[in-house]
Amino acid sequence: MAVYEHLYGAYEGESHTAWSRFLVIPRYALREVFKSKLLTTIFILCFIYPLIAAILVYLHHNANALALLQINVRELLPIDASFFRTFLEVQGSFAFILTVLVAPPLISRDLANNALPLYLCRPLSRTEYVLGKMAVVVFLLSMMTWVPGLLIFFFQASLGGLAWLWANLWMIWAIFVGSMMWIILLSLLALAISSIVKWRVVASGALLGLFFVPSAFGEIVNQLFLTRSGHLISLWATMNSIWRGLFGLFVRQTGAVRGRVSNPIYDGQSVDIVLLEPPLWVSWLIIALVCAVCVWLLARKVRAYEVIK
Amino acid sequence: MTPTTTSSTNEPTSAPGTFPASAASRASAASPSFDEMIMFEDVSKFYGEVLGVNRVNLQIAPGITSLVGPNGSGKTTLMNLMTGLLKPTSGRISVLGASPNHPEAIFQKLGYCSQFDSFPRGATARGFIEFYLRVHGYATQETRELTYQALERVSMLEAADRKVSAFSKGMRQRVRLAQSIAHNPSVLVLDEPLNGLDPMARAEIIRLFRQLADAGMYLVISSHILHEVDMMSDSVVLLHNGYVVAEGEVHGVRDEIDEHPIQILIRCDRPQTLAARLFEHEHTVEARIHDDRQGLFIKTRRPEDFYLVLNKVITEHNLQVESVAPVDDDLNAVYQYLITSDGGHA
Repeated sequence: MAVYEHLYGAYEGESHTAWSRFLVIPRYALREVFKSKLLTTIFILCFIYPLIAAILVYLHHNANALALLQINVRELLPIDASFFRTFLEVQGSFAFILTVLVAPPLISRDLANNALPLYLCRPLSRTEYVLGKMAVVVFLLSMMTWVPGLLIFFFQASLGGLAWLWANLWMIWAIFVGSMMWIILLSLLALAISSIVKWRVVASGALLGLFFVPSAFGEIVNQLFLTRSGHLISLWATMNSIWRGLFGLFVRQTGAVRGRVSNPIYDGQSVDIVLLEPPLWVSWLIIALVCAVCVWLLARKVRAYEVIK
Repeated sequence: MTPTTTSSTNEPTSAPGTFPASAASRASAASPSFDEMIMFEDVSKFYGEVLGVNRVNLQIAPGITSLVGPNGSGKTTLMNLMTGLLKPTSGRISVLGASPNHPEAIFQKLGYCSQFDSFPRGATARGFIEFYLRVHGYATQETRELTYQALERVSMLEAADRKVSAFSKGMRQRVRLAQSIAHNPSVLVLDEPLNGLDPMARAEIIRLFRQLADAGMYLVISSHILHEVDMMSDSVVLLHNGYVVAEGEVHGVRDEIDEHPIQILIRCDRPQTLAARLFEHEHTVEARIHDDRQGLFIKTRRPEDFYLVLNKVITEHNLQVESVAPVDDDLNAVYQYLITSDGGHA
């Protein structure tokens, strides 16, 4: 019988370049995501609206199809800033649903498994770990927001001609930045919650609550006090303002009501109350603050060991 | 061999670079160079106002070195400092010449095996090891080869593609170990590796540690199962309340605890006679007849002299001696003596 002596030496070959090492995390995580039939189905469903949008763009430039349908799509739904803003809103909603399903376990599972020391005892920093986890959400959400958004934009440009392209070139920026703002906000919020809550269901619930409860409360404030300041606490409304701003559709006055005021000067007269949205810069500031708080939370919670005092 | 008697400085009394014989034999020279040691220089770690470890000076040589102490004594803190998972409040740490502040350098040399299972749901042994090798930066082909080698080393090749959730505790421990040695590090840090294992699995894991140590690796193990540490370690570091109270080879440490005389049990036919004769010598501190009256417990401050006298007495009185054995030079006794003596920090 042959007897072989096994000798093990340290690996001396080349390893990945340091900057790309964190990409191993999303690669494995995405594999897990697409193992789930439910998540894969939802991800595919997220492409229905881009498909419809692409068909609408095609119809705009196909006289035969328009004649056949006997609908004036050009007047009904022009391909302009408003079209792409609506696209972003719809896809943004789907992005939110996918984030609620995919993101909560990303960090919480590692915390529950005590796996962070194993990640961090490699040449991988805490920042790279978070970036790796964030890349999972960024990839999935990019695939359904700015990537199809830009494809539709260029599809329209190819059919609409150079004149349309030059006139609307700025929308590339609006589509990309608007999508990325939403993606970064969602991914940071989801990861921050994931780093605090170890249970997936609770983390998903917390993320849903963070968007819907303040929005509902903000609307109550708006109705009760005849104002639009309630939008300040609604991340939906804040993001919508930013999108409108990016597509040049932002208007501060979004309504006016007649109301009686008890002010002695008016003495119970009915006056017009103008409903003003918060300034655009305030919306940017709110999103920046929320992101900063999330980063701070991640910096505190993503550690190899939790020090309990 | 260095019981630490001063709590503030924690300086070893022997010259740096003195190791237990087994470990020293593996070291390349009598005084190994900086690059051949794991060194802690005046290292302290505070969690806010809470002390983790204080002013630790250590030199760890190849072989199995066990960090011993109760919960909260600073074992895990020392390990985390070594692996760079924690930053020291003050002092300097060097692992074979690499600083924990330089992950690229240190993690090629160091492997870490945590005390937790840390297995993702549905993971196979192979998948688990491969994933962390990929995070480490290895390419696909190298990852496959290194995973195969690691599984082979822990004798887990046959179960490599089975789900870890179906494994016994011993098998899981072997997978964790494979994960930590997969990139062929020189230093292996193992946090409570024997926790929760049945005796068979423990024996198996200890045998594996011994093999790795004999291959020239540095194994730093934390444990509070003293008799097993005693059995497998080349040297021990005894910790208490964040201080190193002693370091070195277990029996060497015992020899240097002067305030506690060595206790020896002599099983013989006439313990009374033996007791009377031994008490004539000043180094005998205490003698107590065993409950079954077939043995004698002796406490002596000078064991070498005692054994000479014992031989003489046995010959003179023609005593029938069954056995002579020290009863308090195990790690448990050493640890108890150190933490309750003035030299310790109890």
